[in-house]
Amino acid sequence: MNPSLPSPRVAEPPIDGEAPKLAAVIDIGTTAIRMAIGEHRAGGSIRILERLVQAVSLGKDTFRKGVIEKSTIEECVRVLGSFRKKLDEYQIPPDAVRAVGTSAVREAMNRLAFLDRIYVATGIEVDPLDEAEVSRITYHGVRPQILAEPELQGAHTLVVEVGGGNTEVLLMQDGDIEASHSYRMGSLRLQYSLETMQTPQHRVRDYLRSQIRRTIQLIRQEIPIQDPLRIVALGGDMRFAASALECTPHASGLTPVPTRRLSTLANQIVSLSPEEVVHRYHISFQDTETLGPALLSYATLAQAFELDHVLVTSVNLREGLLREVAGEDAWTEDFRRQVINSAMELGRRYEIDFAHATHVADLSSRLFRELQPLHRLSSRYELILHLAALLHEVGLYVSSRSYHKHTLYLLRSSELFGLSQQDMGLVGMVARYHRRSSPMPSHDTYWNLPRERRTAVSKLAAMMRVALALDESRSQRISAFSCERRGGRLILATPDVEDLSLEQMAMKHNVSLFEEVFGMQVFLRRSVKSVIAPRGHE
Amino acid sequence: MSESLEPRASETRAPAPPAPEPRFFNRELSWLEFNQRVLDEANNEALPLLERLKFLAITASNLDEFVMVRVGGLKLLSERGSTQPDQAGYSPSQQLELIGQRLRKMVAAQYATFLEDIEPGLAEAGVQRLTIDALNDRQTRAVAQTFENDVYSILSPIAVSQAEDFPLLPNQTVNLCVRLKGEADDDSPRMAVIPLGEIVSRFVTVPSDGGYAYVLIEDVIHSHAERLFEQETILECVPFRLTRNADVTLREDLAGDLMADMQDVLQARRRGDCIRLEIPEQTSEETTNFLIETLEILPGDAQRVPGPIDLSAWFGLTRLTGFDHLKERDWAPQQPPSIDPTVPMFEAIAAGDVLLFHPYDSFEPVVRFIEEAADDPDVVAIKQTLYRTSRKSPIVDALRRAAGKGKYVTAVVELKARFDEQRNIDWARRLETEGVHVVYGVKGLKTHAKTCLVVRREPHGMQRYVHFGTGNYNELTSRIYSDVSYLTMREDFASDAVSFFNAITGYSQPMQYRRIAAAPMSLRDRALELIDTEAKNAADGRTSRIDVKINSLVDKELIEALYRASQLGVEIRLNVRGICCLRPGVPGLSDRITVTSIVDRFLEHARIFHFHHGGARKVFISSADWMPRNLDRRVELLVPVEDEQAKRKLLHFMDVFFQDDVKARVLQPDGSYVSRAAERSADAPGIRSQEIFWHETVEAVRQAERSRRTMYQPHQRTES
Repeated sequence: MNPSLPSPRVAEPPIDGEAPKLAAVIDIGTTAIRMAIGEHRAGGSIRILERLVQAVSLGKDTFRKGVIEKSTIEECVRVLGSFRKKLDEYQIPPDAVRAVGTSAVREAMNRLAFLDRIYVATGIEVDPLDEAEVSRITYHGVRPQILAEPELQGAHTLVVEVGGGNTEVLLMQDGDIEASHSYRMGSLRLQYSLETMQTPQHRVRDYLRSQIRRTIQLIRQEIPIQDPLRIVALGGDMRFAASALECTPHASGLTPVPTRRLSTLANQIVSLSPEEVVHRYHISFQDTETLGPALLSYATLAQAFELDHVLVTSVNLREGLLREVAGEDAWTEDFRRQVINSAMELGRRYEIDFAHATHVADLSSRLFRELQPLHRLSSRYELILHLAALLHEVGLYVSSRSYHKHTLYLLRSSELFGLSQQDMGLVGMVARYHRRSSPMPSHDTYWNLPRERRTAVSKLAAMMRVALALDESRSQRISAFSCERRGGRLILATPDVEDLSLEQMAMKHNVSLFEEVFGMQVFLRRSVKSVIAPRGHE
Repeated sequence: MSESLEPRASETRAPAPPAPEPRFFNRELSWLEFNQRVLDEANNEALPLLERLKFLAITASNLDEFVMVRVGGLKLLSERGSTQPDQAGYSPSQQLELIGQRLRKMVAAQYATFLEDIEPGLAEAGVQRLTIDALNDRQTRAVAQTFENDVYSILSPIAVSQAEDFPLLPNQTVNLCVRLKGEADDDSPRMAVIPLGEIVSRFVTVPSDGGYAYVLIEDVIHSHAERLFEQETILECVPFRLTRNADVTLREDLAGDLMADMQDVLQARRRGDCIRLEIPEQTSEETTNFLIETLEILPGDAQRVPGPIDLSAWFGLTRLTGFDHLKERDWAPQQPPSIDPTVPMFEAIAAGDVLLFHPYDSFEPVVRFIEEAADDPDVVAIKQTLYRTSRKSPIVDALRRAAGKGKYVTAVVELKARFDEQRNIDWARRLETEGVHVVYGVKGLKTHAKTCLVVRREPHGMQRYVHFGTGNYNELTSRIYSDVSYLTMREDFASDAVSFFNAITGYSQPMQYRRIAAAPMSLRDRALELIDTEAKNAADGRTSRIDVKINSLVDKELIEALYRASQLGVEIRLNVRGICCLRPGVPGLSDRITVTSIVDRFLEHARIFHFHHGGARKVFISSADWMPRNLDRRVELLVPVEDEQAKRKLLHFMDVFFQDDVKARVLQPDGSYVSRAAERSADAPGIRSQEIFWHETVEAVRQAERSRRTMYQPHQRTES
């Protein structure tokens, strides 16, 4: 609370008079289940109506025993049941509710049993969220603040969240992502390793510090020091610290917390018993479990990078998710650019033919847009196709024989900023089907996909093969073309080249998948009269 | 004030607190001083007689509760052998001793007032209590008729030959004990008890030639006792009344089903140990001893009174019609001019925060707020705390109606509201059957906060309207208790109210509030913080001030903080209606603290706080007194009032309270209270705060009407 600001009398007036949309996000975390109900206003602002938190010991179960205990599952069912009532109270439809589970759910061996039980008992479909999605949402929330913060202009910024199970790190500069990593260091994991090691109380701080330093070493290896470097910290633990230390926020929304005071606070909390922490700071018992190790991690990190303060953001995962549920497209143009940057990095590592790859990617994107009425896929898939086209030859790094198969496994085991493992799998699959065999029931990875995604893979691969035929010469000589659907035929016409025989031959070779999927023959010819310039967004 | 009365308020001194650290007053003795101040009003000759009678009846019913709860509790402690001293340094048994002394004095003063002053005055004015001997023939016949028709058939005398035969008599009801002559050879008398219960009226009206005459039921029955004990010799027939220990509370940690266990508590209270016996002083030793022995009380717990027992019953007489000259002019609650009764409350609140000061301002807008919410098709949810409410509460009705219309209605009903438990259980059940989500308070805590939240779907989004109050949702007591209501739709307050309800209904862990503070989590800390800020400002040579208006100040930690602040130079004005354990004006301890108490026609009940806060002037209202039970064992709210106009109003109220020199009494360093009126010169008009508020309210209404009259207001078709 900032006592100096008077409370606004009413919520912001609506923009355009459009009724705000209600949405809810449930976040099953390591120590608590939280729900936020909010209104998404036409201007893009989110007004939170309700915030609910109930403690659960998921992290304790998963990180200590590997499975979520039955009693904990039932506790989660009870909590979600009560949240369900709230959703009914606001009459929020199921498609405006997103329930996600973070590391404690994702890493539990009985994850599926857990998710099923919750679904059966409450009708809430929980979707385990992976690190990439977390960083994508984080990125969205925190980027405007980073851009608005004068201190961060031109500086490399490390965006860090020490969660219960993992620590997520994003390296950004001027709003662009340079790297993203996830580490298996979490406040709860640290807490439990203390218990396993039976660390005596007076050794707790040193032990924690040494554990934290080990991870920091990893971070420093992957992120070579670049001067000047700043840290932006996320998460409830740091928000607590900023409020307990009564730090004043900057206009950007970021609050500077001095490292020395943070370190003192962290040491103090680590040395107190949970009861004392509860009494002194008015927080719940569950929160005490993460608070000490988390604050110590941030303080140690700030010291390692020799910073006199860290900036704390008020942004949290739930608000970002709320925006998405309320229909805001999370895959903004800017986000796409970040993902593509990250894919280029990857491509560079595998020494691909850049000119060809980017050209095919552009052609594929253009085809995707031209053929929208035909494939009816959401714009997300355009990015999948674009990335697949960009990276379809990474397998050549391993061997030129059956390289499309190498491409598949290389991509499936790679990380791209902001892309979930599921999405990454799709990219790999589309890239894999850019040549040779069409997808077949005997291809397990393909066949095991849900129908929607399976058909999307086929459609995208089919379009990519057409794009590939257009650049069969590998000289990028065709860049303008038009599409015309006439009867059961798709006619591509280009003004760029006189003699299209090379491309036409390739087309003939490549279009079988297209014909299978869309039931349409494809012809390439030279455009007769007008030159049709490439079309941009519509 | 009558000169002849013994003892006078200013002469009643609390016993000097024990050395070496006399930092606090004992809370029980301080409470008794409060009751004395009420009794002083009964002695106030400037007041009409029925008004004085009302104050007297209030002191009696106050004492009933005090004995039942406080004395009861101390007795239990003492019986368990506790020697734990209170903050003034007295052990439970020492406290009981001091209370006993003070009580005897007070009861003597009550009867002196009644028998020597009020009753003769009333008789002169035509309101007469007649004894049987004084009845004329017509009256005697009337009494006989009443006995035969209405009384005889419902009496069932019970012979008591041994203690086990003694019937289980309800707490604090009048009963009769009859001593009969023994059988021929046996001169040991036989005893019988006639329970009266609550079915017969204490007052039997008899015809009179003008004015009002009545006979007490015990006298009527006594005079006709031979009808009940035919062929017996009645030696004595005396009324008596017993008080049971009511300090039976629920061990909630052991309670499985709160509702069922609460019923058990009520049952236990009905059977609680007898801790006081009231009997007329002329009762024979034989009968007195019989009652003492069978009821197993200590001789000191028998209270012999020189007049009729149970003066609280005379409260009924104060409502007598036709004696307006013996009553004060009614100060009826006014419809606040700022609220147009034809405009929905949602609109009124949307136009600006609404602050009401009851009972000067009517409670009707608050009731209307909830009623309109129940009937409004756009309202999605209503959440409401209920601690004590009236028997036929329109608010409870509205909640039922709302639930019937499919709204999400949550009522946090406090089953543990002392002496209202049965009523609360009853309507909690009714609400449940109508589909209201009823939450029986919070485990281990009493939910004393007064707030109501309405969630309404509006074109530009969900809008939340909140009412915060200092008093109960009871439209009847709101006419006699002075309380503040604050209605707002400010986002932070709404969001706090949402979090508050989510926390007390178990939907969520308590969250950090944006504006409000709640006991038991943060209220005490916030109060301490505010006091300490003033202290710091004073120490830095900046202006500082603390004004507090509460009902009771007991909490040691807060008192110590106030002492510190005073020592650092903060000017502190406290308006504490009831118990005050803080010792004001002690050099080196509390030089800058003054404590006044106002006892007047309306029961001062609002809790208002003002802190100078470096010029920011922070103003709060609260449901909580500054007592450990409120701060640690209850769910209470402290609500800042930020609207400038509302703030100015509250500051004005505080100023007027502190200027009162008619009804205000000032607490002295020795624990006694001195009337401010005594300091005022006789011809000075004096400031009586309640009267000023009443006049201001009426004047505002008149002004509004006048300005309305200067304009024609065409009827407009309301949009449906």
